[in-house]
Amino acid sequence: MRVLAIDTALDACSAAVIDTAGDRVLASESREIGRGHAEQLLPIVESVMKKAGVKFDAIDRFAVTIGPGSFTGLRVGLSAARGFGLVTKKPVVGISTLAAFTAPLITQDQAVPVVAAIDAKHGNLYMQMVGAGGRTLITPRAAGLRETVRAVALGPVRIVGTGAAILAAHWPAKAPPPTLVEQRAAPDIEWVARIGAVADPAQAAPKPLYLKLPDAQPPASARIAQR
Amino acid sequence: MLLLGIETTCDETSAAVVERAGNGSGTIRSNIVLSQLDEHRPFGGVVPEIAARAHVQVLDEVIKKAMEKAGVEFSALDGVAASAGPGLIGGVIVGLTTAKAISFALEKPLVAINHLEAHALTARLIHKLDFPYLLLLVSGGHTQLVFVEAVGAYTRIGTTRDDAIGEAFDKTAKLLGLPYPGGPAVERCALDGDPKRFSLPRPMIGRPEPDFSLSGLKTAIRLEAEKIAPISRQDIADLCASFQAAITDVIVDRVQAALQNLGHSGKTPNAIVVAGGVAANRTIRNTMEELAISLRLPLVIPPAELCTDNGAMVAWAGAERLALDMTDPLDIKPRARWPLDIGPAPVGNSA
Repeated sequence: MRVLAIDTALDACSAAVIDTAGDRVLASESREIGRGHAEQLLPIVESVMKKAGVKFDAIDRFAVTIGPGSFTGLRVGLSAARGFGLVTKKPVVGISTLAAFTAPLITQDQAVPVVAAIDAKHGNLYMQMVGAGGRTLITPRAAGLRETVRAVALGPVRIVGTGAAILAAHWPAKAPPPTLVEQRAAPDIEWVARIGAVADPAQAAPKPLYLKLPDAQPPASARIAQR
Repeated sequence: MLLLGIETTCDETSAAVVERAGNGSGTIRSNIVLSQLDEHRPFGGVVPEIAARAHVQVLDEVIKKAMEKAGVEFSALDGVAASAGPGLIGGVIVGLTTAKAISFALEKPLVAINHLEAHALTARLIHKLDFPYLLLLVSGGHTQLVFVEAVGAYTRIGTTRDDAIGEAFDKTAKLLGLPYPGGPAVERCALDGDPKRFSLPRPMIGRPEPDFSLSGLKTAIRLEAEKIAPISRQDIADLCASFQAAITDVIVDRVQAALQNLGHSGKTPNAIVVAGGVAANRTIRNTMEELAISLRLPLVIPPAELCTDNGAMVAWAGAERLALDMTDPLDIKPRARWPLDIGPAPVGNSA
């Protein structure tokens, strides 16, 4: 199966084409850009398709990160992936950034749980904790730094993500220290493709995973008194 | 030529398929518009993040419906057009990125459309209309007088110095406790009102420069309402009618100022065109008709559903541009601000 994966949910703008036959990465490109995903994504897709040397209609499936991350950023990837799916009528699967962070570590070593942490600013994190066999111990959520530390610093864990360093810096002195702190700006795009290849399209809809409500308040009324 | 058009700059998610014949005439094959009114109503206005979330949730289905209704396959398209601004950037990004993806997958040209240009050219979709013409563009976000000389050649000759006309309608509605959206609510209420009961100011009237200024009018409404508070239903109707009368007087005067301004520079429009969401207002339409008759100038006002935001106008603008080989690269930048008379959108990550 040939998978085109894209990720724009965090600081990187990435795309990769893999062929699951022989687990081959046909092409992969990731640029840490911070902003401007809407401009750079399609040129990057164009570039990896060219390098991969496959026609667009030879792609069997599209995989896209759905967040949590930058609201605007994740919508860039989702819009593109859903646009691709619409035209080609091929499945589009959504992969959470948290799952994409944990997958390579769990594959390496199943024994020590992995905490994926993404900096959600203002002392908050998006986080998920995964244990042996990829089993979810804490479901994806937005949580305060302290609350997260309390929930995860109970035994040896590995931490990964854009919030890994922050989480490690707030680790309680009494708790067993993390056995690995992997600070990453974005998931490995090749892993997004690999998870995308095995995801069930019926279970992995390409829908945003915001984990936070929009910041909006109904305005105070300034109307004139009525009879 | 067959164009898909995508519109997501504010609170309407829309996709349409429009055909442009070799002789320049247009046919709307489909025009699906999904309004987000219900999502924004509790907030009394459009909330950008809520709008962006709603666009990404439904856009691909809206496009699918537009294609099905038009009865065409993606492979039959000659190009893909999307509003690339101006507007709420979160929504613009969703629409433009989707269009880029479709364009890339189909290997068909992308046309990035200035939303205001789409409004400006709609008249040519429904009417055989030659350039140049004077455009009065009136919506919730814009109030402009534009001289339209050709596709891509627009000269803004007047604009608002503060509020847009649609904004003035919305603020008046809010003040009087009328439901959201304010424009249609004020219009409905005004039907039962006396337009002469309150003497409201007509800002800018008589001034040679064809600009608008509407914030003072809004303040005047507030003062009049406060004087007689608590206000009755009839008071509200009279305030709405008086407000609308002031707005239409201002519009008539400003359009005439624009024509004089054009006359001084030796330019003669073939027609007056009114576009934008506020052009759906019956009183404004009627007033413009009377003005056009008195000036002996043809008047074109698209039907209400093509005045409010819609994909057909974007598809049509895309067809007009594509017919002139005006296409855009895949790294074109979505823009929150994009004045109509300042060149094409920049590419790359420049800001």
